[in-house]
Amino acid sequence: MGIVIEFKDVSYSYPLTKEPSIKNLNCKLEKGKFYGVIGKNGSGKTTLCTLIRGFAPSFYQGVLEGQVLIEGKPTVDHGPGELSLKIGYVFQNPFNQISGVKETVFEEVAFGLENFGVPVDEIERRVIEVMELTKISHIAEKNPFELSGGQQQRVALASIIVLKPDILVIDEPTSQLDPEGTESVFEIIDALKREKKTIILVEHKIDLIAEYADDVMVLDNGEMIRFGPKQAILSDMSLLEHGIQLPQMAILGNELVKQGVKLDYIPITEKQAKEVIGRTLRKESV
Amino acid sequence: MWREKLSIKKDNAIAALYPSAKFLIVCLYSFCSLIIGTIKIEGYPFFLIPWFLIVPILCAASGVWKNFIKAFNKVLFIAVIIFVVQSLFVPSETIIWQIGFIKVYEAGLQSAIVLSFSIMNIAGMFIWMFQTTENKEISRALEDSGMNYKVAYVFISTLQMIEVLGKSSKTIMNAQQARGVETEGNIFIRSKAFFPSMVPLILGAITNTEERVLTLESKGFDVKCKKTHLFEIEKSGKEKLAAVIAILITTLVIIGRVLAWVL
Amino acid sequence: MEKRHSIKDDFSMLALLIIPIAVAVNFVGGQLASLLKLPFYLDTIGTIFAAMLCGPWVGAVAGTLTNIVTGIANPVNFAFIPVNLLVGLVTGFLSRKNMFSVWWKWIIAMVLMALTSIISAAPIVVLVFGGITGGGTSLITATAMAAGANIWAAVLGTEGVFTVVDRIISFFIGYFVIKVIPARTLVKFGCGGNYIRKDNSTSI
Repeated sequence: MGIVIEFKDVSYSYPLTKEPSIKNLNCKLEKGKFYGVIGKNGSGKTTLCTLIRGFAPSFYQGVLEGQVLIEGKPTVDHGPGELSLKIGYVFQNPFNQISGVKETVFEEVAFGLENFGVPVDEIERRVIEVMELTKISHIAEKNPFELSGGQQQRVALASIIVLKPDILVIDEPTSQLDPEGTESVFEIIDALKREKKTIILVEHKIDLIAEYADDVMVLDNGEMIRFGPKQAILSDMSLLEHGIQLPQMAILGNELVKQGVKLDYIPITEKQAKEVIGRTLRKESV
Repeated sequence: MWREKLSIKKDNAIAALYPSAKFLIVCLYSFCSLIIGTIKIEGYPFFLIPWFLIVPILCAASGVWKNFIKAFNKVLFIAVIIFVVQSLFVPSETIIWQIGFIKVYEAGLQSAIVLSFSIMNIAGMFIWMFQTTENKEISRALEDSGMNYKVAYVFISTLQMIEVLGKSSKTIMNAQQARGVETEGNIFIRSKAFFPSMVPLILGAITNTEERVLTLESKGFDVKCKKTHLFEIEKSGKEKLAAVIAILITTLVIIGRVLAWVL
Repeated sequence: MEKRHSIKDDFSMLALLIIPIAVAVNFVGGQLASLLKLPFYLDTIGTIFAAMLCGPWVGAVAGTLTNIVTGIANPVNFAFIPVNLLVGLVTGFLSRKNMFSVWWKWIIAMVLMALTSIISAAPIVVLVFGGITGGGTSLITATAMAAGANIWAAVLGTEGVFTVVDRIISFFIGYFVIKVIPARTLVKFGCGGNYIRKDNSTSI
């Protein structure tokens, strides 16, 4: 698979700060993969996202060393709008993502397409399609300001997905949502994964990362301390010392192994736990 | 099908005029009002009074009579106050009426008519325009007339922001009252309630601004290309006729003004 | 370091989004002031705040737009567009010249701000409204006129006192809010740099 995003010796500091928020980052992200980004607060997760999208340094200013390449081209060399079509960006706060000029959800979702000058017929077709995918067709005529947080976040996702970006950067989309809202947002993210989009997701709810992500990137104090397939990283108990949360099932599995239970591997999701523990139990009962 | 749902249909031919045609009418009408205010019979600009009839008649003909009355109340209130204050408090040698110590002076009454009727005329015509035109029509017309799309954005966004902040100011006020900040009492107590209500309101609104800028950029707001619009406004076809009538009346008013000089 | 200012740069995306907030703050401030029955309008807080942060042109637009938007409901407000435009413009220039840095400059700045409003409002109040606008200070003006005071003196006197206090309150609210905004956000506004304390700016 091709490389879509590459960090080459990237260090970045916000203006008026001495300490860089991202230090010596080198990594390559593959097309069509789902990356989960984890780390403590202030470890540089959001900065990483803004670097990919080019908001740092174009908007945040500050000092960027090294290069962030999107499909081989540095973010700073992309024209305005060019990155908007390649990379969709979804923020934490659903309320802030409302354009503030549209009276209905339908028009809100269409806003980006209007900005890019897409013909009206095509706009209608694409908006209707995306509203179905994100399950907001029933609220199409409502005012975006009068929706629940979960609904607003789905509208935010819809208004980005409608632009058909190949890469999606999603920064803690569920931190302000209730469990129901969280679930509905992850249903959409899962659908995007099936569409083979490259997804970079920052998420505190580690169990969701364990379930949906392919690879995991662990940040600590601006440095990438782990990067690779989720199975090995999320069952690595040494990460707990860095203040990183690990899935409940991994901790449970590790505890069982310590107590002498033989497991084929450390599970990180409920499904895996059922499977691997079940297997062990069956073996013992034979 | 969605475009039809979003479009605004108006049965009334006058209300359906394109916003720029309405704006032309407002400008010419205001100009005429100022001119008519200078045509005086024995010092009184009497023509302003029948001229004002055009406003309510036009509003009724455009089918916005009720909304007009609602909005015009505020203007009327100011006009009445001005009328009373002018006629009673601007002294001159000639006194027209005197009831006890209340005197109505001639110069006062003259300026009372000029000021109050000019305000009613001009403000009234603007009310007609705004009551027959929706805000998003105005914003589309601005953009169609060649204004930067960002101007239209700021205009509509402002109207929405007033609603949003209006709501949060109520929430903050209620929270302050619940915390025991007094909103009743003498002026100092009431002033003290103002600060804790305003500061969090402004702060809350602006801390989100950076993220909102980036959201707009994510949706291609700053891309320089021809924008499309789901919501379009169309000319009703009567714009030329309306403009001709308006210009004709203006010409007549100017001729009248010139004749009044000559005669 | 000499900064060159272009009007186009003043209207950054950030500044464009500040304008609706400024207008809404003017609106809510005015409503709150009348709700609390304060003797001031307090309806230029947003304009002053926007001008302090983004400079004269953004301030002028915020002021103008306020009266356009309130004019939709009551077109009489259109008459005062020049006043609010100038509030924004003058406050913005004062901010750009860093006139809000120390207390004695504050006094000069506030006197200038109040003077601008009084001088620009008085002709409108006198010539368009004959001295009376139906607002809170109208009663005092009318009383002074009835007592035989010259209409200009009556308007300037009453508007003057209330305008000065109004501007002082509005300025402090704006200043307080700006002081709370983090330095790394402030740098992105046209005049924001003037409000970053120089001594510890590197440690924030």
